[in-house]
Amino acid sequence: MGIAEKMKCLGVSRRDFLKYCTAVSGTLALSPAFAPKIAEAIESDTRPPVIWLEFQDCAGDTESLLRASAPTAAQLILDHLSVDYHETIMSAAGHQAESAKENTFEKYKGKYICVVEGSIPTGADGAYCTVGGRSAEDILKEVGGNAAFIIAVGTCATYGGLPAAYPNPTDAKSVKELLPNKTVINLPGCPVNVENLTGTIVHYLLFGAPPAMDKFLRPKFAYGKRIHDNCERRAHFDAGQYVEAWGDYGHKQGWCLYKMGCKGPETFHNCPTIRWNEGLSWPVQAGHGCAGCSEPGFWDTMTPLYKRLPNVPGFGVEATATKIGAAVVGISAVVFGAHGIISAIRNRGLVKKVESSEFEDDDK
Amino acid sequence: MSTKECAAKRFIYVWEGPVRITHWINFFCIIILSFTGYYIHNPFLSGPISTDVYVMGTIRYVHYLTGIVFAMSLIIRFFWLFVGNYYSSWHSFINPLNKNDRSTFWAYLKYYTLLGRKVPHTLGHNPLALLAYIALFTLFILQVFTGFALWSQANPNGLMYSLTGWIFPLISNQWIRFFHYLVMFLIGGFVINHIYSAVLFDFKTQSGEISSIFSGWKAKKRD
Ligand code: SF4
Repeated sequence: MGIAEKMKCLGVSRRDFLKYCTAVSGTLALSPAFAPKIAEAIESDTRPPVIWLEFQDCAGDTESLLRASAPTAAQLILDHLSVDYHETIMSAAGHQAESAKENTFEKYKGKYICVVEGSIPTGADGAYCTVGGRSAEDILKEVGGNAAFIIAVGTCATYGGLPAAYPNPTDAKSVKELLPNKTVINLPGCPVNVENLTGTIVHYLLFGAPPAMDKFLRPKFAYGKRIHDNCERRAHFDAGQYVEAWGDYGHKQGWCLYKMGCKGPETFHNCPTIRWNEGLSWPVQAGHGCAGCSEPGFWDTMTPLYKRLPNVPGFGVEATATKIGAAVVGISAVVFGAHGIISAIRNRGLVKKVESSEFEDDDK
Repeated sequence: MSTKECAAKRFIYVWEGPVRITHWINFFCIIILSFTGYYIHNPFLSGPISTDVYVMGTIRYVHYLTGIVFAMSLIIRFFWLFVGNYYSSWHSFINPLNKNDRSTFWAYLKYYTLLGRKVPHTLGHNPLALLAYIALFTLFILQVFTGFALWSQANPNGLMYSLTGWIFPLISNQWIRFFHYLVMFLIGGFVINHIYSAVLFDFKTQSGEISSIFSGWKAKKRD
């Protein structure tokens, strides 16, 4: 079935579809003049199939993909990309499912897009996560290694995420760590925002190449700016108006959540501009600080979530920077204070001593 | 017991202009940077009623501007390390291979740790203080670097980010921020030591330690 018929079946009008294409051009920071080209690219028959691998994860990215309440153009496009293998959402199971994967794999070797969700546990010979009797690492190397390119979705696949947080019991690794020579596009986030996933795929359909990426392999169109620099509460930040406690006056007024540990100043993501659930809202708009979920090292570096800075490991639970710093200043004050007292006692009669020695010398 | 000799006769011009000027620029910068930096970490002033007051915005602006001044002052001081007189140049670093240098070093260490009573005298930096200054200036450089790196995140396509942003794949921006904040306290600890030692040696050596950072002149010890 072509996309035109699919649209008809699902009651998505051509107008909606074109509107969506214009929105995607916006997400990708392209001119709206690209919209017809985007529509063309999506409708063309050369679209690559997608194999969606799921490893050590919570299926949150899949949820994000499916979260549309009514079939929308976005969802349709993802459908249309013929996701040939997706354990969670495919109707086939067991051997049937595996053979669907095998078929795509053989037929489109080197041409399909591999989407990976979840980190890959490498501890205990990969026993922590196996599919069809094979370890996650094995599957990734075979299926991912033969893809045109890989899109790692969610923080687990991109940087190891929660499973890789200290002490990383399963020795979880990211996709790029295991396939360092492969083209990997990282779309971190907990979960990934589906707009960024479709945007990335559409970019590939349109230009035949991955979008411009930063040093963390994130597309710049989605991760090029900090949350803090696009946040709607930023005016309150600059003014010095902060929420001091949940539900206080400032919270009700929609003031900045900086003092409640908002990690917007540390996090690169386009949440404030494209938002979530079809642009309905996003965490900071809803009154909770950013958790920094899409940054490398998320969890270890972004916790405690309601404090500005991480605690220092090894000093007990509450070793904050301020406490350690105050201790440093305190100790030096005590040490030098004590030194001063001892020196003062030792130096009793200093003036007399100096005067006598100096002037005796002179008299010689 | 009259003043038979004018001490000024034995005075030597130790700290040249750029050394003293950068010292005081650093002094003011550190004070301003610490206060504004602490506010940025923990905005303790209570929030204004209207958004056109711009408290955090102004304080950050001052912090950044002072950071630039501080960085320039450091550059001048480093330049002077190579063109200044003996006391301000790297020539005065102690040479661990030189026996004399070693013995002065031990004499100071003994004195500082209250093991020895004899007060050594050097005109420039004493070798122990010199080590502290090397550590301190390392902290300054790291502080300036991390400061600019954190600032540069506002524009990851800019020049500042390309010069400093390479640190973030190595150390996450949260730990850089942590470090930038913690170093403020380390510098605070140093300031206590610095002022105390200056006062102590001013007393003990009668060489005008304190006034020397204003005037540049220090008394020489007669042998
Ligand atoms: S709520 Fe968070 S992201 Fe928004 S301005 Fe405040 S600190 Fe920045």
